Amino acid sequence: MTSSARTSASALSPASVPSTGPARPDASGAGVVTATASKPVLSGGTVDLEAFEQALGDPFDPSAPLSFARSAESDRREQFPADMCRLLDRLGMPSLYVPVEHGGALARYDELTAAVRSVARRDLTLAVGHAKTFLGGVCVWLAGRPEQARALGADIVAGVPVAWGLTEHGHGSDLLAGTMQARRDGDGYRVRGEKWPINNATRGDLICLLVRTRPEGGPRGFSLLLVDKRRLPHDRYRHLPKVPTHGIRGADISGLAMDDCPVPAGALVGTEGGGLETVLKALQLTRTVCTALSLGAADQALRITVEHAARRGLYGRTMVDLPHVRRALGRAHAALFTAEVVSVFAARAVHTMPEELSVISAVAKAYVPSRVDELIMTCEELLGVRGFLADYHEHGAFQKLHRDHRVVGVFDGSTFVNRHSLISQFTLLARGHARITANPAGVEGAADLTAALPTPRMHRLSLTARGGCGLTQGLAGAAADLRGLTADGRAPARLADLADELNGHCERLHEELALCPPSSQFAPPEAFTLARRFELCFAGAAALRVWLHNAAAGHDGLWLEACLVHVLQSLRPARTAADEAVFDRLFDALRTGAPVAPPTTGGGL
Amino acid sequence: MNGSESDPLEPGLGHWLRERVAHYAQREPAEIDPSANLTSYGLDSVYALSLCGDIEDRLGLVLEPTVAWDHPTIEALAAHVEGMLTDARRPQDAG
Repeated sequence: MTSSARTSASALSPASVPSTGPARPDASGAGVVTATASKPVLSGGTVDLEAFEQALGDPFDPSAPLSFARSAESDRREQFPADMCRLLDRLGMPSLYVPVEHGGALARYDELTAAVRSVARRDLTLAVGHAKTFLGGVCVWLAGRPEQARALGADIVAGVPVAWGLTEHGHGSDLLAGTMQARRDGDGYRVRGEKWPINNATRGDLICLLVRTRPEGGPRGFSLLLVDKRRLPHDRYRHLPKVPTHGIRGADISGLAMDDCPVPAGALVGTEGGGLETVLKALQLTRTVCTALSLGAADQALRITVEHAARRGLYGRTMVDLPHVRRALGRAHAALFTAEVVSVFAARAVHTMPEELSVISAVAKAYVPSRVDELIMTCEELLGVRGFLADYHEHGAFQKLHRDHRVVGVFDGSTFVNRHSLISQFTLLARGHARITANPAGVEGAADLTAALPTPRMHRLSLTARGGCGLTQGLAGAAADLRGLTADGRAPARLADLADELNGHCERLHEELALCPPSSQFAPPEAFTLARRFELCFAGAAALRVWLHNAAAGHDGLWLEACLVHVLQSLRPARTAADEAVFDRLFDALRTGAPVAPPTTGGGL
Repeated sequence: MNGSESDPLEPGLGHWLRERVAHYAQREPAEIDPSANLTSYGLDSVYALSLCGDIEDRLGLVLEPTVAWDHPTIEALAAHVEGMLTDARRPQDAG
């Protein structure tokens, strides 16, 4: 190991803003990138995320290995981007799906999310299709036998795709309703039933299946089987056809049907009856990682939109100079920065406070995709008809990412499912907040980007955050720290005012959480609103913490101010003009190339 | 170890658990059968985890959040917790 996921602090955003010089090379410069593209830059020995980003090339360039032009073609033909997947394999991307102890390169979850974001900012379908292998493997990392994990790790590093078979027709997110059944038969199992719709069900040589092992089901009635299709009798299973989809059209969204198929006993992952528990813990990791898909989509949407606005002349001015455009783009950057801070904080929290990940991952997976959906809508408005045309503008990249991103808020636990998971922890959140029971060191370690990350201690993952949420519990303290900095001019007073306001919202929210009656199966709409407010308080608190623990000399707090105003606007009844001006200032600063992005921003386009 | 111990270490544990389950299920305690599976009251698997926090809070024990999955009735849960209390208090008794 390894270079940090945190590379040059300002690479993404200034480059995505036009006035900073040549944001992209000419087509003629691309051959160089392609030539260096096949060397592994991600492996057990080195994780060089900047080299990875470089090797992927500039998607605006049609001859780059991952270009909007190629992606558009796969999408139009609804064809799996197999060539592009092979390139990612050659660069060593699969090794990031495998923990170091099982033969891979995954030592830091912020590195995995940064790599997924790099791919997603070029082609979301590709990122969804490739990174699925991480989802397929994660249960084995958590609960598998050492030799089982080692063998799977070797397969994945060699480029073997792995799928994760959870959902079934008609049951959706209700995992306990699953009917695929495994019954003991001699030394192994006989498996019967269907999994559908499953990402990579057909391509995946291996699939980790959640199966019913007690006829009556229940939380201890399910188990996991890591099934190697290469070793199954061919007449005992079949693939269900690829499903036509609105977005990610090239992805292999299909299914698997097993007909009393024999599966060896060694396929069992963990204990019989432990399947649901392992899946719920695994989802905490995968939901955290999935936020990177949204960040990549947001990077792409903003770059396309900003470059368009910089070129487009309107009413004798450049579009980007129109006051409304400037503000909308500033606000969109604030939305991206906030989402990014939440995602990076969550990825680091895997290491520093795994015991809270049931809350943190639910917040991240609910917050990030839904805010990025809004950001994409803003970009769509600014692009006008160009965002709608399939071929005309950047090979129709925008309309593709717009369709592709819709799935991020749906799969791996929808926004609804994640909010429901938060709602079920309201009692713990309220109780923890009243007593400040969570561990503050975990918050600091996640927010301080220079702090070394401990090896993830997966045995500390828990289905509930018994101490509540340390980040929101520490918001009052963080706001007070910021107020302290204003005394000798180290922070603007306006920042402290915003932090106090956020803290006020957070306190009121927790009073309401304490009064919210439990709602086991049918949570009322009001509870979902509370969950959303919790996400906003969490996001603002994460931004504040990251600023406090990483504020370098000369940091004027502009990005933090923009992030706080962004979340407060959704917590307050109405907007005020004084707030909005921060988005103008943010965008103006980005255009000058000043380092105004949060330190969570990795090397980008 | 079962739920009908004559001299429980924690008097009223079963009664209290019944109230907690009734609270989560938003029902009257009288409607809750201590021998019935918690899911029969619509207490879903994720909410059953909340019981763990309540028990920890009341008794100062540390439990697996899945304790109500492995002991899915009030009687079974009470018996399990009684057993844990016995184990937890044994060193003190000896000293």
